[in-house]
Amino acid sequence: MKKIKAFFTVVALILSASVALAQNVRVTGTVSDAGGVGVSGAAVQLKGSTSVYAMTDALGNYSISVPEDGVLVVSCLGFKTAEIQVGGRNFINVTLETDSELLDDVIVVAYGTVRREANTGSVTSMKSDGLAEAPVSSVDKLLAGKMAGVQVTSQTGQPGASTDIRIRGISSLNAGSEPLWVIDGIPVQTGDQSYFTNTSNAMSAINPNDIESITVLKDAAAASIYGSRAANGVILVTTKSGKAGNARFNARVKFGASQLSNDNGFRIMNGSELLNWQRAAIVNAGYNPDDPTSSYYRPMSLLTSDLTNWMDAFTRMGALSEYEINASAGSDRGKFYSSFSYQKNDGITYGTDFQKLTARVNSDYRLTKTLEIGTRVNLAYTMSNDTPMQSLYYSNPFFAGMKILPWTPFYDQDGNYNVNIPENSNTNPLYTAQNNDQWEKQYRLHGTAYLQWEPVRNLVFKTNNSVETTFGEGRRYWAPDPGDTVGTLQTSTTQYVTLTTSNTATYNFSLTDNNFRIMLGQEAMRRSYMYYYVYAPGLDAKIPYLATATASTDETGYSANYRTLLSFFGMFDYNYANKYFLTASVREDGSSLFGSENQWGLFWSLGGSWNITNENFMKGTRNWLSLLKLRASYGVNGNNNIAPYQAYGVYASSAYNGSNGNLPDSPDNASLSWEKNYTWNVGLDAGFFDSRLNLQADVYSRKTTDMLLSKQVPQTSGFSSNFMNIGSMKNNGVELQLDGDIIRNSEMVWNLGFNLAYNKSEILDLGDTDEMTYSDTRIKHKVGERFYTYYLKDYYGVNPSTGAALWKVHEMDEDGNDTGKYTLTSDYNKASYIYAGSPEPKFTGGFNTSFSWKGLNLSAFFEYKYGNKVLIVENRYINSDGSQMSMNQTSRSLNYWKEVGDTGVFPKPVAGNSSNSYTFASTRWLQDGSYLRIKDITLSYNLPENWVKAINLNAVKVYVSALNLYTFHDVDFWDPERGLDGMGLGVYPMTKSFVGGIEVSF
Amino acid sequence: MKKSTYIVLIAAAALSVSCKDFLKEEPFLTQSNALALADYDGLNKAVAGAYGPLADGAWYGADYVLTSEMRADNATIPVSTGFQSGRYQPPFYMNYSIDNTVGLWGYAYYVISAVNNVLEEIETQGMDYYTDSSVSAQDIKNLQAECLFLRALAHFDLARIYAYSPAKSKVVNFTDCVPIILKTDKTAQDQPARNSVAEVYAQIISDLKEAESLIDASYERAGVADKKAAASLPAIQALLSRVYLYNQEWQNAADYATKVINSGKYKLWTAEEYPSVWGSEIGGSEVIFEVYGKKTNGYDEYWEGPSHMTNPVGYADCAASPSLTALFEEGDVRGTTGIRGKDDGKVMFCTDADEASGGELWTMKYMGKGEGDATSTPDVNNVIVLRLSEMYLNRAEALVNGASISGASALNDLNAIRANRGASALTSAGATAVALERRLELNFEGHYWFDLGRTANGAVTYSDSRRGDNIDASSKYWALSIPKREYDVNENLSHNPGF
Repeated sequence: MKKIKAFFTVVALILSASVALAQNVRVTGTVSDAGGVGVSGAAVQLKGSTSVYAMTDALGNYSISVPEDGVLVVSCLGFKTAEIQVGGRNFINVTLETDSELLDDVIVVAYGTVRREANTGSVTSMKSDGLAEAPVSSVDKLLAGKMAGVQVTSQTGQPGASTDIRIRGISSLNAGSEPLWVIDGIPVQTGDQSYFTNTSNAMSAINPNDIESITVLKDAAAASIYGSRAANGVILVTTKSGKAGNARFNARVKFGASQLSNDNGFRIMNGSELLNWQRAAIVNAGYNPDDPTSSYYRPMSLLTSDLTNWMDAFTRMGALSEYEINASAGSDRGKFYSSFSYQKNDGITYGTDFQKLTARVNSDYRLTKTLEIGTRVNLAYTMSNDTPMQSLYYSNPFFAGMKILPWTPFYDQDGNYNVNIPENSNTNPLYTAQNNDQWEKQYRLHGTAYLQWEPVRNLVFKTNNSVETTFGEGRRYWAPDPGDTVGTLQTSTTQYVTLTTSNTATYNFSLTDNNFRIMLGQEAMRRSYMYYYVYAPGLDAKIPYLATATASTDETGYSANYRTLLSFFGMFDYNYANKYFLTASVREDGSSLFGSENQWGLFWSLGGSWNITNENFMKGTRNWLSLLKLRASYGVNGNNNIAPYQAYGVYASSAYNGSNGNLPDSPDNASLSWEKNYTWNVGLDAGFFDSRLNLQADVYSRKTTDMLLSKQVPQTSGFSSNFMNIGSMKNNGVELQLDGDIIRNSEMVWNLGFNLAYNKSEILDLGDTDEMTYSDTRIKHKVGERFYTYYLKDYYGVNPSTGAALWKVHEMDEDGNDTGKYTLTSDYNKASYIYAGSPEPKFTGGFNTSFSWKGLNLSAFFEYKYGNKVLIVENRYINSDGSQMSMNQTSRSLNYWKEVGDTGVFPKPVAGNSSNSYTFASTRWLQDGSYLRIKDITLSYNLPENWVKAINLNAVKVYVSALNLYTFHDVDFWDPERGLDGMGLGVYPMTKSFVGGIEVSF
Repeated sequence: MKKSTYIVLIAAAALSVSCKDFLKEEPFLTQSNALALADYDGLNKAVAGAYGPLADGAWYGADYVLTSEMRADNATIPVSTGFQSGRYQPPFYMNYSIDNTVGLWGYAYYVISAVNNVLEEIETQGMDYYTDSSVSAQDIKNLQAECLFLRALAHFDLARIYAYSPAKSKVVNFTDCVPIILKTDKTAQDQPARNSVAEVYAQIISDLKEAESLIDASYERAGVADKKAAASLPAIQALLSRVYLYNQEWQNAADYATKVINSGKYKLWTAEEYPSVWGSEIGGSEVIFEVYGKKTNGYDEYWEGPSHMTNPVGYADCAASPSLTALFEEGDVRGTTGIRGKDDGKVMFCTDADEASGGELWTMKYMGKGEGDATSTPDVNNVIVLRLSEMYLNRAEALVNGASISGASALNDLNAIRANRGASALTSAGATAVALERRLELNFEGHYWFDLGRTANGAVTYSDSRRGDNIDASSKYWALSIPKREYDVNENLSHNPGF
């Protein structure tokens, strides 16, 4: 409370400084640009006064009352500031000169905007141009490869799914590693919020076309003002505001198709390939495939039945359609932007689709000269149908499709989908998709209202208040097996509510060449979560709803939690003559998540930059070196992304002997605190030849300390572990971004862009232990190694004389260190485990090019990852060396050992193989996951203006676009992208999409 | 004033609304420690909950009982591989190591921490804090007694498995027992060292004597399905009798056995009743204290529970050793055999229904409550910890070793049991006869291994050629290793000899 009082006292003092006025005259006029068009939103100010100013209206008109001998200062973003003596005149027209250096050079940063020149932190931003064409369901997918150091990984290619974004690497084991998303000044919910499906990405509520700009705050100077939530970087999204002028409409229609991507010749065997391979395996095992009494009876006559490629049977051409209309308008007092969109995306397997409806209203209105009010309201409805994915379920079409035998009948005798498939536990994904339900519907609302008061020029008080809710409804229904009558239903209800208030006061002022900006702020956030779940196993399949549930067998689940955050923060910017810049920020966060001893945490940063170009001694080089700037920053921010209530020692209910007792559930943890990130960053910005070539380079190091780990404790305490701030790790990296206009003239523009990020993580300390196992035992977190490190048996290859698999047994010295020497064994159990590399890419990035000529534009965007490993766990089944004789295999298995001397091939298949040659904890299935993806190619054409004007339209654009057109990679699977851990077990692979669309403005 | 000023004032007023408790978000689906023990009801629930881990598979939920039988040659892994799941290899082949040892440790100390919290809270707040018109001081004392009983039982079971018995510890000259924990460190940072065998037994006895003095003689835990699965005065006294027996304080052992026998609350099962009492929902006339089996228990072992492990249709890894089943004389109900599914409730050992196991027998002491079918759902069973026959046997052994109780003799005590088992009356009762009777009566109830271990020259000679070396009187296996994970986090723990 004291802090709030102090804050308002300062404000009151500033307000009390009144301004005395001389003899006034009313001046009116128009501010226009060089072409004579009125400039709206320009500030017309009395020089030396902070309270006497006016803004031009939509047509550029203004009216202001000033002393006769005053000087008017007219300023507007993108124009050079003009000063005009009033000289007793009542009517002054002002023409502003375009400021080419500043044009487009304002970026959105935390709690405001900054001229790119004045920025001290490491920030990347992109404008919305080009977002509209890509056929994606959410904006996060558009960031892949676009910005240096922003790594976007898809766990799945399923429409509607979320992505994993890692800015400058992974920073935490047990707290989250996702960046904070801030939309129009309010931190929002992210991630997948569904109960049963994988396809309820919170970010899909945002229509990508509503976005004006995206800024990523990467280092401490840029992000630390978000305090305990800034450790993983911050993504700021600004949505569109209306533009002054007449109402403008934009309508867009888009249609497209998608298919499984497969650019490395990956496929399953056809019937005769598999049969011949199986017969070879049977002979190798000493059986006769033509012996009808053998369990390995595989006569050639199997090929005379109808053969099915089950992968083809389970996949289809996906379809995408999207419709959107938006409108914007503005007057001298108000601006308005509204949009409505509908998207439907049918997946490439039966039973998967995603639909969404979004609506947005953004409004801004100037109530009085000093008061402005506005809203940002977004509504979204998403509906996704799903089938079991993300693991090797029998009903997962991407797994079942690879393993069901080609000669298994497709239909049963009655012409229905065959469910008599013993090799797949009598499960047919087509039957599942047809009869079972698995869906999630989500209703989202995000509404923000702000009030802004500018009592004197450049002193702005703003209060921004927001409600964000998600209401989710899920259903998973298992229809009875044929002949049965009882179905099983699970339903879920989920609810997320976030209330936020963000209040700031900002003041800009200049004293000769010294420019200051001071911002003070306060925020409070309260977030709640609730789910309610019913499992009803005894439904009447004719009425498959809870109405026919039988209470005695039903089960329910319930969970709920709350978390709160209270913050006070301040920021100070200073620059001297636009040469030397300094930014300092400090934030104090109090969080309900942490122990009473550590409830409050202080986060801060310091950044400076030197714009060398503005020094006098650089005058001589400005003709070719348009910008040269050095930046440096250091700071600390936090990670509070943990589950609630972990600081509390609690009792939990425990049933015994027919009654409910209580047992201690977790120990008291009053010292539980934030993970902290200490980050330094040094950067260089350079522009050449009138900014036709721009370079941004950054070197950074971020160290996570106080990493939350479950520390093993003596069980004599009654507990096995306690969650404590004990570990540390670091990420070091280099980022490079280069953009250039190769051709830039009135008819033709050709530009090229390139970005590259190198990041290396290293675990420094894990408390009691120097190694921890990831949720999958094939990955370790080990001190001295990268965050994820594969831990696998070291596969050597095939024994050229016998065709058996060979493994390496490493020789160790007395200290247990690998001597580098090894012997070979055919016994899997004797094989040595090794740390076999990491799924973390060494380099990530992308490059893009765009060529425009008259109305035609061709743009291409490439994304790459380099130096990461992937583990194809499915191979245990689909390249099984004969251990799986009732599953189809991939064509890679055809290249097996056939005669003495064969090397570099798969081991000899043996029916009933138990040698473990196919086991998944093996380097045999580890592959280089590097890839280069043609992420997006778009060709668009703007119809000539005189044509469209003739039919009373403003603009018409037609385009065709391809997403994931082709991927260069060496992974023996559909697609190389397999999630952050590189294992992607049973995932819906990435797809290729082709769309065409038309956009009409009127 | 201008409109704008009003608006700003309203905004400022809204902001300055008290934020004092804004950051206090307490868990509400679980109870914070302070809240959980704030009143009598909370204490009572915390005591009720503290019994739960006794039913865990590492303790009376199977392992502590059945692995002991396996180590002691009462139980065996079936010869027919169709009746093995591989679960009972370590106690059969005695391949115990620091990495592969019995898992009681964490569960026993969990119970100790649960009851310590209650005892400490009562001590801190004072008795008066909890009493009111409906809660008397005696109500609180009863809870304290239950806590002390559980703390004693947990320390006793820890001592029996991870340390040498008082007698053997002198022989092998290794007296480290387990850490005594009377106040649980809430920050979980203490690294307690092991106390000596003498200290631990003294503490166990002290806890039980205090419990005896606190508990109301007629106290039974309210609101539970099975009142015999909670502490009572006879349960405290019966456990004291056993602890004294282990500590070879013969007169005390005899005195406390006599208190229970003379309480009149328990009656020996007759030979007719005997085969049918074992799958009861609630312990029968002999049962003094037992662990309740039910699928609704928070600690239910499900497929690993005792009834499934001894059911030929279930995991069946724990069969009866022929060296045990051959011990019974004709007519002794305790050695009767039959066919599972046909003779349930009529005999004490059964073959599988199809007799496919080659004559292998399984005990019927965990025949199940009939709440499962062993194919889709495993059955459940209570596990008896203390019963009346043991009191007769304790007294007989104490008398043989020099204790005296007026009107009682070892021979009469043994014959009291034998008369109710269809066994012939003995004419003399020396130490050997008492020990044999104990094995005949209490087999598969988790006694035999510890009965051998508590004497200086107790040893096991295996009857099965598949098994390894016999266990001699000073074998390292009489004190199995404390789990490795505990050594990793507690520098002050000594290692047992040979581990």
